[in-house]
This record gives sequence, structure tokens and C-alpha cells, in this order.
Amino acid sequence: MTSPTVKISSQKNITAWGLKLLARQGILIAFVFFLFGFSLFSERFLTTDNIMVVIRQASIIGTIALGVTIVVIGGNLDLSVGSLLSFCTVLVVDLHDKLGPLQAIIVMFFFALLIGALNGYLIGFLKLNSLIVTLGMLSTIQGITLIYSGGLNVDISNQDDTWFSFFGRDYIAGIAVPVLIFMGLALVIEFILKGTVYGRKVFAVGGNPGAAVFSGIKKNKIVFSTYLLSAFTTGCGALILGSRVMGSQNNVGQGYELLVLAGVILGGTSLLGGSGSITRTVIGVLILSFIQNGLLLLGYPYYTQWLVTWAVIILAVWLDVASTRGKVFTSFK
Amino acid sequence: MNKILKVTSLVIAGSLSHIGALSADMRIGITQNNVGVDSYQTTYDASIKAAAAKLDGVDVIVLDAGGDVARQIAQMQDLIQQKVDAIIIWPTNGQAVVPIVRKAQQAGIKVIVTNSNIADAGQPFIAAFSGPDNIRQGKYSAEMMCDALNGKGEVVQISGQPGYTTAIERQKGFEDRLAVACPDVKIVETQPGDWNREKSQRVMENFLTKYDNIDGVYAGDDNMGIGALNAAKAAKRTGIAFIGATNFAVGYEAMAKGEYYGSVYQSPVDDANAALKTAIDVLNGKDVPKKNYFDTPKITKANMNEFTKPVF
Repeated sequence: MTSPTVKISSQKNITAWGLKLLARQGILIAFVFFLFGFSLFSERFLTTDNIMVVIRQASIIGTIALGVTIVVIGGNLDLSVGSLLSFCTVLVVDLHDKLGPLQAIIVMFFFALLIGALNGYLIGFLKLNSLIVTLGMLSTIQGITLIYSGGLNVDISNQDDTWFSFFGRDYIAGIAVPVLIFMGLALVIEFILKGTVYGRKVFAVGGNPGAAVFSGIKKNKIVFSTYLLSAFTTGCGALILGSRVMGSQNNVGQGYELLVLAGVILGGTSLLGGSGSITRTVIGVLILSFIQNGLLLLGYPYYTQWLVTWAVIILAVWLDVASTRGKVFTSFK
Repeated sequence: MNKILKVTSLVIAGSLSHIGALSADMRIGITQNNVGVDSYQTTYDASIKAAAAKLDGVDVIVLDAGGDVARQIAQMQDLIQQKVDAIIIWPTNGQAVVPIVRKAQQAGIKVIVTNSNIADAGQPFIAAFSGPDNIRQGKYSAEMMCDALNGKGEVVQISGQPGYTTAIERQKGFEDRLAVACPDVKIVETQPGDWNREKSQRVMENFLTKYDNIDGVYAGDDNMGIGALNAAKAAKRTGIAFIGATNFAVGYEAMAKGEYYGSVYQSPVDDANAALKTAIDVLNGKDVPKKNYFDTPKITKANMNEFTKPVF
């Protein structure tokens, strides 16, 4: 009498276990799958040169994604990073010739953190919805950028003769500096999140805000600080971008907010907050970059990546939800 | 009492506007696409205002649609209400403005389209188009590519944003002319760079990984061309001829250094002046060609001294 029920439940267990595995390790499986798939069709895909190019291309989005990951773990969103990137790049490039490289970098970070603080204040202390605040900030900062530059492109005039080129163009021991910045920051932030009290507080605030407050965590301050961190990493991204291009258009960061978020989600950081990891964000961003590069090497126009990226993200989110409820599909009832 | 005041003020306002109309022989309204969004449009705006200020007997109203089709249509309606003699429009969208252009034409206003043309459906309603000939620009770039490579080689193309008429026409002009002028120069691949320098740099990095031999790069504008040049310099690949269009200041400088082969000189100042001149010629009843192109010459290191450095 009881055997059928047992069978069903063990089948359910297997599905749930399979889903858990896919949701946890799916990102790695997908990564290997993409690498393997593309390498079948292009012999250049897995060459050292190409891999270095891909990682370097990923480093701007990746650097920004590190900060955004912290915000998302804390239970919020940051969509303002796209135009913040435009603003910071225009600012640092424009001020480079006017004030000198070091001063330009300092001023750029000052304004980046100021905007981060404003985001953090509105969301952390005034408790406004982060989607609305940062979406509004996205267009506000774009407007500020256009007003600041008057629509003109900014360029560094003496490009071969400034140490500012270090951040985007130089190599240390054969590794591109953007990659070193990206990986270095990733290590530091991973340590902060996993190895410090502050990190555990961020997870607590994102996972269960009520309980966090009852256990004496100053939730407002934690949320505030996550936006400072995301503004800081966006500033680092602007540093790499400005140095790499040695000039900037007003809309250079347009669409980055979604690419960054795509990398974060692909890495498996839950949009509900409270879980996620930097290592996985790094892998998520690398997957995006490999997809883009692979499709280009195969000769597809770059906008095909949007289709593929979208499909991969839906799959990732679906797996996440499915593993939480232990079922692949739900009934329509 | 109130009524009387209102009536008097109306009369005064009416007579004032009447005087205004008398003092200028022509009134021209301009609605631009999106001033301030890029260097070209910003310079165009400044130039057309400067040119208008110098003209006697021509009253020019300069407006900016801010990239918004609805606002541009509202501005057209205002200009029709004001009964201007001619409207110069830089379409925010070549398709969406057709009905309002038609309405202006029906109100007896001469419509001149500037910089980028409106859709074919709107052609019967306009007096003239004034702007660059992008197909010819593509041809010029193809001819420079032939010269640079001595008629033989492999090139990659970085085109502008998909869907932009300028991007499509330049690409067509380039490809068609290249096939005729030097059939031994092959385009191995084309990818869009969205008028964006950083994106073009990324596209070029991928090209450099993919192809061991690249002899030339054609970019839809210098901004993208410089992105490609950045990528090649970083990868230490030499012997590549870079050819762009719409010469930018950065392209001009790279040309002076011998890193950048050639471009097409398109000045927003000429563009603005040509639009204003076309409008005035039309109003004076002169015979103006329907497609009134202004000259956009080739620029290479050899003749760059004849041109001033672009301001954008």
C-alpha cells in the first residue's frame, strides 16, 4: 500500500536533488558547455591570446558587477551604474588635460561616491524603493553628463605621453592591468563578504531584514554602504574605460546596467537578496564575455548575443526558482 | 474693463507681430534633432545660429526637438501656426514626421530637410533636402582604400548603428565602389560598431584574433576608426590602413601622425550653412535640386593642411 507513495517521493527527491545540483553548479556546467561548444567551431576560440582578450573585455563590466553584487546581496538593485559609468568616464577624461591625471582621478571618485551616497541615503535611510530610485538616477546622471559636456566628445590630447594609460593599456608580468584590477578587487571583496563581520551583516540584511534589525544590525547604514561600494567599483570601471579609449562619448555606459545585472544574475546571486557570491559573479560575467566573443568569432553580428544572453539568463533564473520549490514546472491551477 | 484690456492687448500684440513680419522679409523656422547629444549636432546648432545672426532681412527661429519625435511634431505645429515662410527640419525619425511635413506643405510652407533625409513617402511634400551624400562618402572611402592597398588586400568593415540611414548608405557606397574600383580588395567581415568607440575597439580586438592578416579597416566614422586603431596599436599589429568618414579631431590628429590613412571631411558648419542657404534659395524662387548635397571631400595626410582641424 505504501510503496507507490514512496516511489513518488523518491522520484521527487531525485528531481529536487537534480535541480539543486543544476542551480548550484549549473553556472559552471554552462560555462564548460559554452567553452566546449565554441571551440568546436572556431579553432581560435581557446587560444591564449583570445582568452586574454575576452577576460580583458570582461573586466569593465566585471569590475562594476562586483559592487552591484554587494547591493543585490543586500536586497536591493542598482540600475544607475550605466550612466554613472558614462559620467565618471567623461569626467575623468575631461579633467585629465585640465587638472592632471591624479587630480582628475580624485575628483572623479569624489563625485562617484557622492552619487553613491545619494543613492544610499534615499534607499537606506529614506527607505525608498531601490528600483525607482536608481532607475530615476539612471536618467538623471545621463542628463548631468550631457549638461556637463555640452554634447561634445572629450579626448585626451597627448595619448602616448601620460601615465593615465596604465589602467587600461598596460601589462604587468604579461597580464593586462584591467584584468589585474578586476581580479584584485574580486579577491578583496570576496574576502570582505565572506570573511568579515561587515560581510555577514550584508547577507543578513538581504536575507531577512526584520531579523537583522532585531539582532542589532544597523540596516540603514549597511544598505547605504553597499551603494558606496557599487559607486566605487563603477568609478574603477570608468578608470579602465577612460584609459583604454583615451576619450569618451556621453553615452559610453549606455546599457551597461543591464549587462552588469545579467552577469550578476547569471552568477546565481538571487535578486531577492541574502545569497550570492563574488566568484560566481566573476564566472557569470566571463560567460557573457565568452558568448559575445564566440559569436563574433563565428561571424554572427554582435546583437545575436542579446538573444543568447537572454535565453541563458531565463534558464538561470528558472533553475533558481525551480530548485527552491523542488519542481521544474508548476500547474496552471 | 477687463475685456477692453484684453482686446487692446490683443490688438497691440497683433500689430507688434505684424511689424515683426514686416521688418524681416523671410521667416525661417528650424527644428533640430537633438542638440547637445553629440559634438556634431552641438556645432551645427552654434553654426546655424551664427549664420542666421549675420543675415539681414531673415528672421530665424531655432528650436531643438531633444531627440523626441512628439516634441518635434509639436514644434512643427507651432511653426505652422506662426506662418513662417520655410521650415528646416532635422528629422528625429524619417518616417514619423512625414504627416506633419505634409501639413506644413499644405499650409504653403516650404520644407527643407537637413542632414538626414525623410522617408520616400514624404518626398513629394518637401522643397529640398540639404545634407551630405553618404553614398558618395562611402565611395570616396572605397577609393582611398584602393589607393592605400594598391588595389589588393583584405579589409574588415565596422559599420554604424544598424538601421541608421547614414550607416546603411555609407556601407552600400563603400561596398559597391570597392567591388568595381579594386575587385582584389576583399571585405572579409563586417560588424556594426554603433558609432561607439569602445564597442568598435572590442569588435576590432576580436577581428585581430580571428584574422592573421588584415590590410585595411573601413569604419563608418572616425570615432569608430580610432577605436579600431587603438585595438591594433594595443595588439602591436602594424601595416593596417585605417579609413573612416566624418573626420573627427582625433582622426585628424592620428592622420597627422601617419597612423590613420584617410577620411571624409564633413563639416557641421558647412552642413548648417548649406541648409540655411538652400532655404533662402528656395524662398527666392531659385532653381534648387531636390537633393542638394554639400561637398564632403576626401582628406588624407597629403591634403590635410587645406582643412581646419574639426572642432569635435
